[in-house]
Order: sequence, then structure tokens, then C-alpha cells
Amino acid sequence: MTPLVQIQDASFGYEGHAVIEHVSFAVEAREFVALVGPNGAGKTTVLRGLLGLVPLLSGRVEYGFDRASCPPAYVPQRDALDGAYPLSALDVVVMGTYARVRPLWPVPSRERRFAAECLEHVGLPEAAKRPFRSLSGGQRQRVLIARALAVKSRLLLLDEPTSGVDVEAEARIVDLISKLHREDGLSVVMVTHHFERVRPRLDSVVRVDDGRAVKQRLAAPVAAEPSPSPIFRAGS
Amino acid sequence: MDALYEILSPNYIFRDALLASLCIGFVCPLVGVYFVLRRMVFLGVALPQVSAAGIAFTFFAYASLAGPHDIEPASERILGGAGSIAFTVAVLLVLAYFERRRESVEARIGTIYALAAAATMLFLAVDPHGDAQMVALLKGDMLATTSASLGFLAIALGLVAFAAFAFGKELLLVSFDRDLAVVFGKRVGLWDLLLHVLIGVVISLGVMTAGPMTTFGFLIVPPVTVKLVARSMLAFSLGSAILGAVTAFAGFYCACEFNVPLGPAEVGVAGIVLLLTGAGVGVRRIARAFGRRRASKSAVIDAGGV
Repeated sequence: MTPLVQIQDASFGYEGHAVIEHVSFAVEAREFVALVGPNGAGKTTVLRGLLGLVPLLSGRVEYGFDRASCPPAYVPQRDALDGAYPLSALDVVVMGTYARVRPLWPVPSRERRFAAECLEHVGLPEAAKRPFRSLSGGQRQRVLIARALAVKSRLLLLDEPTSGVDVEAEARIVDLISKLHREDGLSVVMVTHHFERVRPRLDSVVRVDDGRAVKQRLAAPVAAEPSPSPIFRAGS
Repeated sequence: MDALYEILSPNYIFRDALLASLCIGFVCPLVGVYFVLRRMVFLGVALPQVSAAGIAFTFFAYASLAGPHDIEPASERILGGAGSIAFTVAVLLVLAYFERRRESVEARIGTIYALAAAATMLFLAVDPHGDAQMVALLKGDMLATTSASLGFLAIALGLVAFAAFAFGKELLLVSFDRDLAVVFGKRVGLWDLLLHVLIGVVISLGVMTAGPMTTFGFLIVPPVTVKLVARSMLAFSLGSAILGAVTAFAGFYCACEFNVPLGPAEVGVAGIVLLLTGAGVGVRRIARAFGRRRASKSAVIDAGGV
């Protein structure tokens, strides 16, 4: 089976200087992968390299699906977004549909309804009209996950989705991501500092350290099940 | 009140100036919202100065190559406009090229402001003949607006307003979450270029018509005011534009009624609206905090009673 995304001997960096080199691993369909490693090891660089946000200096990154028509879903670090924008939670989720809406055209009402459903799916239907900046850290993170769902991608990439949130919010976010993987059949690649807390849900782990990345399949992966919800089924 | 009737009269002598003022008041805040959201307010100070330097340079160049300024006002405006747009867009493109190096962005903008201000004065100093003719232009003498210049202004700013609304979601996406725009395969550089061109056109025409101070005032003050109360981007953009147009009209009225300079009157009215809105928002916040404290106190008393 063709992997959803495959990195072959890739080096990522800026202005010709590699931050991380010789990265090779693949993410299969319905796989839950964590990128782990010490601070500054290059986990986020690998994730951003996968997305094309950090220049690929050598090697290859291949997607097993058409990136142009269906880009990967990306959840950035919460603090990467400016809270000064007067946007409601629903406005932020609607941005996930922008890849499908052409310039000059307004966002169709069916896309807005779908965005509202995504917000409901992450358990925040009541937050739709609330200002994004007024939400708690955990709620903001779930709004960003809802935005990623609105992309309708098969691949979900998250950059430290539980950083800076309290323990309760962290548990809810991890449960939500696990549910999206298990029930909706999404492939998940997640940068995390809290490996032990997500360990039981993972299929594989990519250890990033000393400028290298090594993938390791874990002993007792959680089997992915087919989605009961056709709306959020991967690639639908 | 007589001044108001006079302004609203169809035969009002400064009708073209009033309409130009309304156009600038409406469109400047539409691009100004991106200055505020992208934290480029310093650029809003520097660019009108760059535009002024462009005007001064074209007159200096004209005087050096073709002789003294004995051209009629319309040609003078076209010449000044060309210099203003050329300088503003060129500087914007240079700034856009270096935008990724955010660590020194304020230093770059500050340097550009200082150089543009110095260049304006030097061009005027070496071209004393042009100096006399350009003072009104650089001050932004809105009352000198002609039907022809109003027509051009209305068409150009109309196109800018259309683009700002039509491409609003793309401009919002590249401003709010540039990374997501890249992941979506959007041409981020092109959308940034479009935004910079819109900014360049608005500032150039604004400076030519209303002067650097008034242009900067309309770019920044209405968006800062509306941001205090807006809950969506549409409300923010449209509210800023409408507030800009309303304050332009109110400023025009004040200038006529109290016989004060037009540009400062308009910016002054916008400033008063900002102060009042800020005070209103502050009072509402205090009242809410007070209400919450009272509610939690009574809850404690109730619990104690039970």
C-alpha cells in the first residue's frame, strides 16, 4: 500500500544550512505517529518540513494523495496565531475551507455549515460566536483542531497541541485526537513533549535527536476502526 | 447649522473636495485594518513621508531636466502622482522582500521614514521654485480638488475598495495564518504583493489629495476605534470604512463651521470618536467586572445562608 506521506533521506533547513539531515520515514494510512525528542532536537522542523514550511535542502517528500486538491490538515502551536484579530471561533474554523473556495467567491453557506459541524465535533458548538481571543488555551486548541477537520484531509499534523494547557484540557485534547484517529480514520502525526501520556494511543514513534530521525513501530498499537460518521471520514 | 445646509446643498462650491474627502475617509481605513492587524502602524507613518519624497523628487527632476515649474495644476498633479506612486510602491516592494526578517523591521521602517523626510526637505531646498508650488500639494490641499481629479480618485479608490472586499478572505488568511496559506498552496507572495500595491495606491492618492498627516490619520484612527468593539472581520473592515467616511464628513463640517484647517479637523474628529469609544468600552468593562464581583459575593452569601 502506498504510504500517505514518505520522506526519503531529507534534509530541512534555512538558507542552505541544514537543521536536520537524513530524515527517512513513512506515514501509513490510519497510522498515529508521534514525533518525540529533546527540546531543540528538530521535531517541529521535521513537521514543518513535511508541510513545505521549511525548505527541503535535499532528499524527497512524497505525498500519496493530491496535495493541490486536498492539502494536509495542520494544527499550529496555539501561540503562533495573533489574538488581535477580531475573529469568532467559527470564523477561524471556516478558514479550513478556504482551500476549496476560489478567490473572488465568498465562502458558500454549506461550507459554513460544515465548519459549524466541525466545531460541534470537537465539543465546542456553544463557542461558535465567541471571540477566538477570549477562549481558554484548551478551547483555542480544539478550535484549531476543528479548523483542521474542515480541511477534509486524510492526514492531520499537529505541532505540540497540548503545550501550555492544564492537565484536564490536555486529557480532552489527547482524547479528541485519539478519537479522530480511531473513529474517523485519520492519519495523525503529532509533535509532543508528553510521550508517556499519548503512548497508549500510538502506532509508531519517530525519535528526533542529534540531527537525525528514526521511526520505531510500537509493540501494542491501537487498531484503527472504520468511521461511523460519514461526514468526518478521512478523505471524504 | 447653516454650514451643514451649505455643505449638503447640490451647488456647494467645495462639493468635489467633500466627495474626495469622503472617498479617502472610506477607503483609507479599508487598507488601514491590515496596518493595525499586521502591526505595521509605523509603516503608516513612513509611507506617506515616502510618498511626499516621491512628489518632491519628481518636481526636482522636472526642474533639473525641463526647467522651472510653469506647468498648469493638472499636469503638476499627474507628475506628482507618478512620483508618489513610484516611490511608495518601490519602498513597499523592498520592505516586502525583507519582510521575513522580522527582527529588524522597526529599524528598517524608522530608517526609511528618516531618509524620506530628509530627502523631501533636500529636494525642496535645491528646487526653491518648486517649493512654492508644492507646499499646497504636500500639505494636501483638499479644497483644490477638481472634477477631473475627483473622477480619477473615485475610480482608483473604488477599485481598491472592490479588491479589499473581493479578496478579503485571501488577505485575511495570509495575514492571520501565513503558514496555513502556504500549506493550502496559496501564492502567499502574490497576495502580499496585492496588499502592498493596494496600500501604495491608497497612500499615494491620499497624500496627493489630503496630505501625509490626514492620510495617516484615516489609515489608523478609524480601525483602532472600531477594533475596540468589532467581533468579526467584516464588521471591523466595514465599520472602519463607514466610521472613516462619517468622520470625514463631520470634520468637513467642523472645518466650515469653525473656520479651521480641513485635514486636522478631520483627524481631530476621528480622535474624539476614538476617545469616546475607548471611554465607553472602559466603562462597560468596569461595570461588568463590578457586576461579576457582586454576583459572586451574593452567591457566597446564599451558600452561607443555606
